[in-house]
Amino acid sequence: MTTAAAPALLEDTQLSSRAGGLYRHQNIVTGLIGGIGLGAIGWALSHQFLQGSNWGTDMVVTVTMAGWVIGLLLGIGAFNAPVLWMLGHDQTHEDELYLAGVGQGPRRYWKFCTDHKVVGVQYLIAVFTIFGVGGTLAMMIRTQLVSAHSSFLGANAYNAIVSVHGMAMIVATIIMVTGPFGNFIVPIMVGAKDMAFPRLNALSFWLLFAAVPPLLATFVLGGVDAGWTTYAPLSVQAPPAMDAFAITILTFAVSVTLSGINIIVTVLTMRAEGMTLNRLPIFTWGAVIGSALGLYAMPAFMVGMVMMITDRVSGTSFFVAAVGGSGWLWENIFWIMGHPEVYVILIPPVAAMLEVVSTFARKPIFAYKVTVGAFIAIIALSIMVWAHHMFTTGWAPDLNGPFMLTTELISIPTGIIFLCVIGTLWRGSIWTRLPMYWAYLFLWNFIIGGVTGIYLSDVPADNYFHGDMFVTAHFHYTLLGGAMIAAVAAFCYWFPKVSGRMLNERIGKVAFWMVAIGIQITYFGMFWEGFEGMPRRVAYYDPIFLHANQMATVGAYLLMAGFVVLLYAIIHSWVHGRPAPANPWHAKSLEWMVPTPVPLENFLVEPVVTADPYGYGEPEPAAPAAEPEREPVPVGSAETTAGEPV
Amino acid sequence: MSSDLAVKTREPDPLPPEKAPFFSRPSGKIFLIWLAMTVVGVLIGFYAPHHLLPTMLSVEGRAVWATVVLLTVLAAPVAAFVYGVGFYSLVAWRQRGYGQSDEPPPDGPPLRGNSGLTILWLVVSGVLVVVMLVWGLAELASENATHPNSLQVDVTGQQWLWTFSYPGAGNLETRSLVLPDNRTIVFHVTSEDVTHGFWPVELGVQVDANPNVVTTIQATTNKLGAFTVRCSQLCGLYHSFMYASGAVVTPQAFAVWLHAHGASALTASDVARVSSSS
Ligand SMILES: [Cu+2]
Repeated sequence: MTTAAAPALLEDTQLSSRAGGLYRHQNIVTGLIGGIGLGAIGWALSHQFLQGSNWGTDMVVTVTMAGWVIGLLLGIGAFNAPVLWMLGHDQTHEDELYLAGVGQGPRRYWKFCTDHKVVGVQYLIAVFTIFGVGGTLAMMIRTQLVSAHSSFLGANAYNAIVSVHGMAMIVATIIMVTGPFGNFIVPIMVGAKDMAFPRLNALSFWLLFAAVPPLLATFVLGGVDAGWTTYAPLSVQAPPAMDAFAITILTFAVSVTLSGINIIVTVLTMRAEGMTLNRLPIFTWGAVIGSALGLYAMPAFMVGMVMMITDRVSGTSFFVAAVGGSGWLWENIFWIMGHPEVYVILIPPVAAMLEVVSTFARKPIFAYKVTVGAFIAIIALSIMVWAHHMFTTGWAPDLNGPFMLTTELISIPTGIIFLCVIGTLWRGSIWTRLPMYWAYLFLWNFIIGGVTGIYLSDVPADNYFHGDMFVTAHFHYTLLGGAMIAAVAAFCYWFPKVSGRMLNERIGKVAFWMVAIGIQITYFGMFWEGFEGMPRRVAYYDPIFLHANQMATVGAYLLMAGFVVLLYAIIHSWVHGRPAPANPWHAKSLEWMVPTPVPLENFLVEPVVTADPYGYGEPEPAAPAAEPEREPVPVGSAETTAGEPV
Repeated sequence: MSSDLAVKTREPDPLPPEKAPFFSRPSGKIFLIWLAMTVVGVLIGFYAPHHLLPTMLSVEGRAVWATVVLLTVLAAPVAAFVYGVGFYSLVAWRQRGYGQSDEPPPDGPPLRGNSGLTILWLVVSGVLVVVMLVWGLAELASENATHPNSLQVDVTGQQWLWTFSYPGAGNLETRSLVLPDNRTIVFHVTSEDVTHGFWPVELGVQVDANPNVVTTIQATTNKLGAFTVRCSQLCGLYHSFMYASGAVVTPQAFAVWLHAHGASALTASDVARVSSSS
């Protein structure tokens, strides 16, 4: 693709002042103008012509929000190339270099940039922002629950906050590893110059960006009062906020699908010479397997939300039992998405954390092939367990036995993950740097999440615990204590490569202990509430649950404070941190073999892989994962010690 | 970057020779940690449900208690093993002096797997799953068995209250749920509006109340006492306030209660039929 005349670093190419065409003038500002503009046009037209009909307000909100999404993408330049193609033109090589950010410095982070590393950083900032929103809402929920009949929030505001907290956290956790690191790290790990479809990659990020404002708009559109699960018929009757919520999910589901296809195709088709499937770093496997499962789960979400929208704006009645539909239909569609989605969230961070465990135990990953097989077994089983969320709905009591079987079977491959972790730790040279702290916290939390999940998988116990705070505590232990903590481990691990700085571990460890203790206090409080019989999603409760709730609230404040300290450590280090060498952890996978900051198209010399990246403690010839005789060229920035030969 | 800690050869293997006494070897120490943590886990398994669950008033509620105890006892050894190996590794093999160092400690041994151990792991987890499953299916079967002389109670949820009616007693309608002791109660549950979750907490069962369909669930009372009916499915604005009081009373007291609430509509034989267990 690059010409022979290319200079040593692609990003130093001098482009003509016409490179990029219209795209030269497009960025987030024109995107916002386009989104708000088309949204306003949509509002005006639908208000004029549709407001009078039965479902007028819902139509207006749906059209306005769809206008926002499409306008944003037009304004930012997502459709420039397709339009050119339709007109019989094409973009030049120079245009493509401009699109990849050449010559734009930091401005490229605000544009529709096709460089996978820029997209990765954009995702990272987006994930932090959404976690910030979701975490703030969580603090409001816990503040409401500090007393039995608090007047802090009204009942409607409470329900709206519970719904958006849930959806925001689901959005953020689905993308928290595949977004930043699936984009930034995976292509380098497999020895590729970029993702397979760079334009789709940029599109998937800006779709995510477009999906968030409608979610926040729900607060001014009456609030979603049905929780993030939006069970019908309550959701069909909900205020117009529900239409914006549906647009968020549709947009987000398209984004996840595109991003998943991109990761899968990149790993399958763009691996470097010698990067056989047996040598693939386990995180790459996790990203591919999680993305593949996303391709199964997201269509169900889209179909369900389209049916939800038509129920609301045109009076179909898929989910309204009073006129021939069924709420159980929604519940089935939702959980056919919802249970696989749990593993879409979980598998990529767990796989990333296994990289951390191997690097900081200075040992190869234990039972690598069995673990990859376990990931595959998990996703295969995970599409057959959805109705365990419906044990107590009365939908199909005869199926409770079979679904209990599949649900409990999934604990066998999940158990393999523990075998892999402790097998890797066993007799390792444990190097207690910050990423390893979080990996240990994952181990601690995920056992508790797993054991409490077993109670819920057993129908007689679920008959008690279903729909109560025990469930809330359980899935927070797995998704926050497990997946999110594993993602933090991965973040601390790759931070030097992404930012070019070392993370401040002293502050990071303070944050670690606050988060670690905060999680235990918060969710043991919630287990206690659950044992006592407190239902989920209540704004006011029986005073018999008071002490358990106070415990959970105190823990939640500590937990949030810990994350704020971590955020401070991150921002401080990103600005003032010690410059990072190319391979600070002396790890062996390809992303550590390239200079920091990583040049455009990543590799100065195409790598040839001769071994897997886990050759710790093995005889030298087998050890290097990377190419022979390559002299990394230091990158021009004065503040880095890039290109340290490895 | 450079560090004087950069020792590149691994120190002598910390494992004592095979002939060392069992409890001074890592496996022996981990065994002791495992044993202690298993005991703690089992104690938690007995303590937590016993002290944290409310007093259960039905056979099914008792099954919740037993299931939690059994599953904790099954899970405790597995969790203890993972914790034991994980944290023993941290304590015994942590490379001291490297916590702040930019140089990594020397590599550990290149153990890439152990098929015997993997198979053992799979077999043990498979056996545990089978035990769990058999237990769950057996409980499920007994909870779904039909009982002669059961009492039907119709439950209707609406935003945001519960209504109970006794079809055998002239459709007597009440806002609180009174049940006779030692009787299998079959609840026929439906909703007037959105989906609710009918959850008589101390009976240990629940089923959703869906509009336009009737779902059923049964519970066999076996203890006198008061209980609370809660809503376990988010149902809109005042979901929090959707609860009702209930009580399991003696059959005699139940008959009296029926009389007091609906005597005019009931014949004496109606009351006798509804309120007596065979
Ligand atoms: Cu309700």
